[in-house]
Amino acid sequence: MGSSPAWQTARRIDAHFHVTDADPDAGFSRSTRRLDREQTERSLRQAEKLGIDVLCTSVPLTSECPTPEQVHLANNVTLEARAMSERFFGFCFLNPGYARESLGEIERCIVDGGMIGIKLYHQYRICDPALTPVMQRAAELHVPVLMHAGKGRDTETKIQQPRLSDASHFVRAAAMFPETMLIEAHIGGGGDWEWCLRHLEDRPPNLYLDISGTVIDAGIVDKAVAAIGLDRVLFATDMSMEEGVGKVLDADLTEEQRERIFASNMKDILARRRV
Amino acid sequence: MVFDINTAIGHWPFRQVPNHSASQLRALLTAKGIGGAATVNTHGLFYLNCHDANVELAEAIADHAGFFVGVATLNPMYAAWGRDLSDCREKLGLRALRLAPQYHGYRLDCPEALAIAKAASGLGMPVLVPHRVVDPRGRHWFDAEQTVDLPDVVALCEAAPEATVIVTEACFYANALLGEKGCVRYPNLYLELSRARDGMCKLPAEVAAERMVFGTGAPFKCVTPALLKLDLAPELDEPARRRIGWENGRKLLGLM
Repeated sequence: MGSSPAWQTARRIDAHFHVTDADPDAGFSRSTRRLDREQTERSLRQAEKLGIDVLCTSVPLTSECPTPEQVHLANNVTLEARAMSERFFGFCFLNPGYARESLGEIERCIVDGGMIGIKLYHQYRICDPALTPVMQRAAELHVPVLMHAGKGRDTETKIQQPRLSDASHFVRAAAMFPETMLIEAHIGGGGDWEWCLRHLEDRPPNLYLDISGTVIDAGIVDKAVAAIGLDRVLFATDMSMEEGVGKVLDADLTEEQRERIFASNMKDILARRRV
Repeated sequence: MVFDINTAIGHWPFRQVPNHSASQLRALLTAKGIGGAATVNTHGLFYLNCHDANVELAEAIADHAGFFVGVATLNPMYAAWGRDLSDCREKLGLRALRLAPQYHGYRLDCPEALAIAKAASGLGMPVLVPHRVVDPRGRHWFDAEQTVDLPDVVALCEAAPEATVIVTEACFYANALLGEKGCVRYPNLYLELSRARDGMCKLPAEVAAERMVFGTGAPFKCVTPALLKLDLAPELDEPARRRIGWENGRKLLGLM
């Protein structure tokens, strides 16, 4: 579906969504993973009500160092979602610590499987040189790299996610990998979002920001637009659909500006793909 | 028409919050189709003597009597709360009590908290307990990091069964509403919906209709997400939506 033109007429494109595993408590040591089809059906129905035509989805693993086999199985769930509905576009999850296997997974999932980008979690910071092979391949294919991010000020986040990338890491990465499109995930994902926005005011030309997450603080989208620019802000939900749609609707924007966030900015990214 | 059980007016010291005066907030809510709201005083959380904030709140909403319903904030560890609570109800016309143990340094199951909750019940005032005021992951260095969690709320509900408890800003308490065979476990516990997940937290429709109360968290939070949750929750029919959106909150506040 990644090559399907359906996204060109989409009203709203969710740049950051997840489908879930049918057995999330089964642990990492297993030989198969299956899509939770019931939950996925519910998500599709709710997306339909909210006018979300395309959901760019992934299955990231949050453990410290997922193996290539585990990554492979996680991406199979995304492929299963894509087979279930053409409204799902896929982000290929990678652990960039396994460089050779990551490049192989890019071939399997993006070049052959039609996924539209790369999803990274907190195994490495976005400006870690270990990411270089993955970033270079993303640049060659002109696909975006979406990475989990935040600036947690609470004790729990600091303990649980010591390599969590924040906006300062993204600004550094944007300079390290100038040919790669980077998407900083969920400005509303929890944390000091204003601190992040202040870092993005220099507007690196290859850096985008998605507005997803449960945080719906008044003014968050307005301030994101003011900081990084209208053309760099992407509508996304990270599974918090009403929050994602609602915070864009509440922003002080014209309908034309809102449409850019809801769809056109992501369409511009998708249109650049060379795969 | 929708009634919002979870709004606030006044200054928040740790972040710029727009529309925090009574007239601004009313205009914001009215523009979204919200026909009335219960509101607390924000900066009073930080007063040693909270009751001054209740007086300020009553003055601030005096010109909006048909729209705002005042919610008192008191600290049961502070002097003269009994007199203050009575004044809030009888002189200031406030219709509910907010307890914020994470800001005032006590637990909901301490004798003082139970005493004020029971006293509020005696005055016909439900008790609002915010799980949090803002997301602690983005907290200011001087702000509270603690949240009020389920065991604390359950302890209050069990020890003060005559009190009506409404938890605001919570997303994970739904299962606490259900006991064996889907029966309601704590008949005095209600949940505000602004952080509900999966529709009405996957609660059976009849339980949601009885126990969920519409709220937005304005002006701290965007208003529309809560409205979308109410409008689009797949398990709710129109009568259930009306109960959650309008009737439940107003009934709990004695407005109908």
